[in-house]
Amino acid sequence: MTLSVKFDRLLDLMSSNSIKIDENFPERDAPVTLAAGATAGSQAFPSPQGSQRNDTALGAPGRKGPVKAPRWLKQLAVQLSAITVLIGIWWAVAAAEIWPPLLLPSPADVFHQLFVITGTHDGIRGYSGYFLQEHLWHSMSRLLQGAAWAVLLGVPIGILLAVVTPLRWIFGPAIDFLRNLPPLAYFSLLVIWFGIDETPKVALLFLAAFPPIVIATASAVRNVPVDRINAVRMLGANRFQTIVHVTVPSILPEVMTGIRVAIGIAFTTVVAAETINGIPGIGGMVSDAQRYNATDVVVLGIIVIGLCGLAIDGLIRLADRLLVPWRGH
Amino acid sequence: MSTASPTATGGAGSQPGSGAPGSRPHGPVAGRISLAEIVHRYGADDPVIDGLALNIEPGEFVCLVGPSGCGKTTLLKLVAGFEFPEGGQVVVDGSRVSRPAGDRAVVFQQPNLFPWLSVRGNVELGPKLSGVSKEDRRMVSDHLLEMVGLADAADKKPWELSGGMQQRCAIARALATDPSIVLMDEPFGALDAITRERLQDELLEIWRQSRATVVFVTHGVEEALYLGTRVVVMGDRPGRILLDLPIGSYGAETGGEVRRSVRDSAAFLDLKRQVRDTIAGARKELS
Repeated sequence: MTLSVKFDRLLDLMSSNSIKIDENFPERDAPVTLAAGATAGSQAFPSPQGSQRNDTALGAPGRKGPVKAPRWLKQLAVQLSAITVLIGIWWAVAAAEIWPPLLLPSPADVFHQLFVITGTHDGIRGYSGYFLQEHLWHSMSRLLQGAAWAVLLGVPIGILLAVVTPLRWIFGPAIDFLRNLPPLAYFSLLVIWFGIDETPKVALLFLAAFPPIVIATASAVRNVPVDRINAVRMLGANRFQTIVHVTVPSILPEVMTGIRVAIGIAFTTVVAAETINGIPGIGGMVSDAQRYNATDVVVLGIIVIGLCGLAIDGLIRLADRLLVPWRGH
Repeated sequence: MSTASPTATGGAGSQPGSGAPGSRPHGPVAGRISLAEIVHRYGADDPVIDGLALNIEPGEFVCLVGPSGCGKTTLLKLVAGFEFPEGGQVVVDGSRVSRPAGDRAVVFQQPNLFPWLSVRGNVELGPKLSGVSKEDRRMVSDHLLEMVGLADAADKKPWELSGGMQQRCAIARALATDPSIVLMDEPFGALDAITRERLQDELLEIWRQSRATVVFVTHGVEEALYLGTRVVVMGDRPGRILLDLPIGSYGAETGGEVRRSVRDSAAFLDLKRQVRDTIAGARKELS
């Protein structure tokens, strides 16, 4: 019994990392909408035990036994222990020196690099003259610029393609073509056109993030229910008012999902964008460290990039909750 | 509907919506619908409606009944201006319908509220689009929300309401542009029986106050007879009028307790049989 409860929690945890925004998590608002949450949960993940037993595990009144720790706390505890165990294994394997530190640096080495790169030691400033946070900031600023352009251009173009059919015929396939290209394939061309400074990097991130946003927007516009459009037209709205007051808010949930996907793609492209003249930049730091066999810096870079990705995704999900509280309704 | 008329509301707000669409004077004059020789089809199929003619006087409560697929909803869409007939004319108050407008409000089967707006925001959107000032909008929504019993839920979001409350909100939203015609497409179809009966009575009360023309599509014969001052029975393949029954006002004019007993009266049951027989007869002819 307990095991299956924990398994449910694991499933919840996994689904929280998926594209689907998790508004129907039982534990978030357990006491208020317990019934709704429980049904949603049991529909998504049918468990042979049924959902009634889960209700009591969620802290419903009338359960027996002492007051237990809140669920999120347990989840955090399990997650932290898992990470600790993982680092412990890493530590043990590195200490056994099965492979030389050049291949597998120990956690201590990596942690030491964190200390080294974030400050000035023996007159050496960070890595390649920049602190870790500066590398990170430059990458994030590129990402932000590329993504901002993609949103600013992608959303209006998506609306336009959805509304004007001939434009969709012409540019639809072109955007599909672009979407299916690996960003590295056109990066060389961007370098030839724009040189090796900031422009090709931002352009690359823009081109990677642009298609998902256009496609999500266009599909969202076409999915707005006819009756919803009619509901505002019968109130006397003209074409422009209809777009502003109904189309734009209606597409927001799908557009937000598109932006989340797009920024995910752009983020995975950052490192590639910084392989050429990428310092300062976290990707530039990693590829430079690889050239000089500074494996501990490479591993540190990977961890920082990964954590940063999670943080960005979390921020977008938070923005989604604030901007689209009606998602799913 | 004269949502802002003080006489209709027992003095809720002295002059709400002056200069608003709420102040447009229309007595029994506005709200006339004439449909002449309507032919309408979807794609290359047989026409859904063929040669239909119907005249509706201002202030009537017309219920359209008939089997599904007989073109009731299509007829409503033509009057609303969501669709245009292939042949014939839809004329409202002397001018041909060319687009949807605030004088012809629609209440859909689903509430179709805008989830990003509060209940009040939904009601105020119509007046807002036509440039009504904030204070006047507020007065209109206060009055209408009071009327449909949602005054306490004004700041809630639509999805926090029950189905019946959502449909009340949709009715208030439709009335906010002060329409002379209200088109209702099975508005209570998705509600439970008890909520439906309560909303039927509330709708009659609202209609009695405003005297707008109501065209009410339903497939419930009883509902049609209870609500309408006139029941139009439609047949299908193609959509046409089988029976046009002016019944005066069984439920509509009378108030309170009387209405409830109406459903069980002998005359009511007679009418019900007449309508049922008409529909059944048309069915037999087709097969």
